[in-house]
Amino acid sequence: MTRRDNERIGKVARVLAEVHRARHEPSLGADWSLRVMRAIRLEAAGQGSLRTALRLDRLVWRTATVAAVLALVFTGSVLLYTTGDAVELTALMSSEFDATGSLVE
Amino acid sequence: MYGQMAAECPGFMGVQTLVSDDCEIIRLVLDGEVDRFAELIARYQQHVTKITNRHVSSDRVAEVAHDVFVRAYTNLSSFSGKTPFEHWLSGIAVRTCYDFWRSRRREELPVSALTTEHQAWMDHVLVAESDDQFREQARRREAAELLHWALGHLSAENRLVLTLVHLDGYSVRDAAGLLGWSLINVKVRAYRARQMLKTLLLERMRQEDDTTR
Repeated sequence: MTRRDNERIGKVARVLAEVHRARHEPSLGADWSLRVMRAIRLEAAGQGSLRTALRLDRLVWRTATVAAVLALVFTGSVLLYTTGDAVELTALMSSEFDATGSLVE
Repeated sequence: MYGQMAAECPGFMGVQTLVSDDCEIIRLVLDGEVDRFAELIARYQQHVTKITNRHVSSDRVAEVAHDVFVRAYTNLSSFSGKTPFEHWLSGIAVRTCYDFWRSRRREELPVSALTTEHQAWMDHVLVAESDDQFREQARRREAAELLHWALGHLSAENRLVLTLVHLDGYSVRDAAGLLGWSLINVKVRAYRARQMLKTLLLERMRQEDDTTR
């Protein structure tokens, strides 16, 4: 880039900066702020429902944890207290007997 | 965050009533009085319009300024109160303009070509000597179109940095603060953007020289 080029670019850039500074400021119109507030209220309502959904989500997961623990306790207690019964039941199921036979031989 | 803001804001009271008022309104808005946000809009509408008008075309200012306030509302809880609300809002405005240009870049909008009128305008600028002559040329439609054309060739990042640093006259530090970028990033981008603009203008001038020969 020659010195002449630099000078020419400098001139154009100077005018372009002037154009930028002299930009006309547009008016936003009477209902512009009303429209913004409407969007913000919608956003606020959305945030509110999101907060409720998050709370519900947390509740579901907490309930699920409690339910899983209860299920484990229940399974454990069933296994612990019904071992004897289970053996008897297995024997009962496996032995061949005629349940439909007559009561009197 | 809210607690932090509440702790920070009293520091401004007595120094600047307006700032403490802002903090009070923000507190109320965060407490659920959403309609109080309208007071902040009324107070800073002109400030936001001024910023957005420097970065986007005038027919898009209303749309971008709208997004600025919605964004400010959604991020209100992150306002710490350490800096004035106006400054915080300026950062949001600049970043919203940046997002506007980023999304426009993805749309691959065609940049209108320059005509012989623009080349003739450039000829007038090159022979201009006095301030009045420069100002006269700046008022012409071709000047605004050439600026639009040149900025349209830059990436969203370069465009924003060039506008802030070279056209608006912000310091690199202030521009970095507004954009939320590192100082070195803004410095490098400002240099690159200026070089790109120079190259673009030089190419145009050389084309013009070739056609007049």
